[in-house]
Amino acid sequence: MQGTAIVRHVVTFGRVLREVGIEVGPGRVADAMCGLNAVDLTRQEDVYFTLRQTLVSRHDELELFDRAFVAWFLRGPVAPLVRQKDRRRFADGTVRDTLESKRDEEEDVFESGDPLERGASAHELLREKDFAEMTPEEFERVRRLMAAIARTRPRRTSRRRAPDPRGDRLDLRRLCRSSLRTGGDPIEQAWKARKTVHRKLVVLCDVSGSMDAYARALLFYLHAIVGTGSGVEAFAFGTRLTRLTPDLATRDPEAALARATVATVDWGSGTRIGASLGEFNAIYGRRALSRGAVVVIVSDGWERDDPDLVGREMAKLARAAYAVVWVNPLKGNPEYQPLAGGMRAALPFVDRFLPGHNLRSLEELGAVLAGIERRHAA
Amino acid sequence: MAFRTIDELDAGLREADYLPDRGLATALFLSLALEKPVLLEGEAGVGKTEAAKALSTALDARLIRLQCYEGLDVSHAVYEWNYPRQLLHIRAAQEGTVSEEELFGPEFLIRRPLLEAIDSDEQVVLLIDEIDRADEEFEAFLLEILSDFQITIPELGTIRARRKPAVVLTSNRTRELHDALKRRALFHWIGHPSLEREVEIVRLRVPGIPERLAMEAAAFVRGLRGLDLAKPPGVAETIDWAQALAALGREEIDAEVVEQTLGSVLKYREDIEMVRDETLVSLIEEARATAGKTGV
Repeated sequence: MQGTAIVRHVVTFGRVLREVGIEVGPGRVADAMCGLNAVDLTRQEDVYFTLRQTLVSRHDELELFDRAFVAWFLRGPVAPLVRQKDRRRFADGTVRDTLESKRDEEEDVFESGDPLERGASAHELLREKDFAEMTPEEFERVRRLMAAIARTRPRRTSRRRAPDPRGDRLDLRRLCRSSLRTGGDPIEQAWKARKTVHRKLVVLCDVSGSMDAYARALLFYLHAIVGTGSGVEAFAFGTRLTRLTPDLATRDPEAALARATVATVDWGSGTRIGASLGEFNAIYGRRALSRGAVVVIVSDGWERDDPDLVGREMAKLARAAYAVVWVNPLKGNPEYQPLAGGMRAALPFVDRFLPGHNLRSLEELGAVLAGIERRHAA
Repeated sequence: MAFRTIDELDAGLREADYLPDRGLATALFLSLALEKPVLLEGEAGVGKTEAAKALSTALDARLIRLQCYEGLDVSHAVYEWNYPRQLLHIRAAQEGTVSEEELFGPEFLIRRPLLEAIDSDEQVVLLIDEIDRADEEFEAFLLEILSDFQITIPELGTIRARRKPAVVLTSNRTRELHDALKRRALFHWIGHPSLEREVEIVRLRVPGIPERLAMEAAAFVRGLRGLDLAKPPGVAETIDWAQALAALGREEIDAEVVEQTLGSVLKYREDIEMVRDETLVSLIEEARATAGKTGV
């Protein structure tokens, strides 16, 4: 291939990358041009690395880049490029439909439901109502209330200090400055203290069929938490694990849930909690995402595979985490006992075990998260 | 610029006892050519920090290293005023005769790594190590320095780099870095090296190691990386282990010596437990077979 031809291709190639979902700004394209100018264009490897290092900035985009590179510059036969936008639109469409129809069913149930409950518009009643039994309108009202609960997040002491009159360390910079006026005598005292910052919060949410209504509620709650600042990571799992954080930060949570459900649940094959936790530990745990974090797992604890695996992966998770909270909507029923194999295997590694089936229990969760301390049961 | 081609830089790094693959050599070359920071990401122990050290040796430039940690702030990374000296100075002078300009002058300034790197007349390599450990506030602060190569000290004014330092950032990816920071840097992902290159690295770093032993050790570690370990060993671990094996006077590996020395390769109890009995034996067999195949 001619050298000048490659340079001419770069701009178009940038557009190709943008289409497959890699963000390429004009600055990057300019870098790529300068880079190509500096290397030997007859060496394909050098051209490849120059483009990759200037145009890509994330490890998880490397695979997409490689495929685009092969297709564009080498004209090689490759698997069709993933057009993420299209896929999303497609996924949303189909899943929206199923959610819609489910809502209709719920409405039918509601129409034939308890007339007393139907007439009561009381806030209190709504707080106590099981998420699974709510109508879309009720759910909408609850959604707005969740934002208030989400403001309470676990905090920890930072290593940084900030000026604070009740601080425990002298603030020498300010002290020196004020001493100028008094001829070097530090009369006005200046103190600083450790600030507190948000503790990392990692939420793993079961979105399999049996959890549908609760997962939706919890995701709205999560969406509100993500809005409170950085340090929140959200994942959904069914038979597999998928990371939700980027979706929750930018998109409408309903669409995020729809996408997560498609990505993680094989219909009829059940929940694989142990395997999903394993995936989390292997990929994100290794990157120290869970270290020092408060980890919240939302699941009914029905493991379709090996309960022992749940125990082993929970042990790993609990070792890295600051505290582990398990939210099980079934616990809302006073008769409930954690007898399901997966739940029983997980409990020894759980610091707090909470319901989470209605708004009131989410308030409780918020309070627990705000004041949680390291207190491992095992 | 000291190196006109990637090949020249590659040779320079090899002379500094570092064996880069083509991708890394290209990344460092572009970083010098475009005068842009380069961000090296990869699992622990693949030689990110070493790459910066080798670059400074190859360039014959001073290496200035900033190790990041949580809570790292301006007074530890950029500059701080020497408060005890300032107070003494005020005391020593007659009352009211010390002006603010005098007190906040260069002689009371303590220079930390970033200021040192920007305010230098000679070529330096600035290594900002494990940037993912610093908090986001610090990252934002770093942005200004890395895009404009200048530092503003309120009392003294703006100090502009007379000679742009070569900047290498490393990250273990314990968290995703800010897009704004990434936009200002070239990005290179360092993976585990190929078997041939790892053998080459081991032989370079452990002089006098029997060729066969180097080959078996590298092949064994490669086998370990294929298992589902909590912490897969990096090149650094291979080198440590090969050193231990060579020190024990081994020509080849066997179950006994591997069991004795596995602690220098695997750092987690679960990982060591996982690599036992049959797994260990089959890994050793595979490693020896690989070494045998290449006819060493």
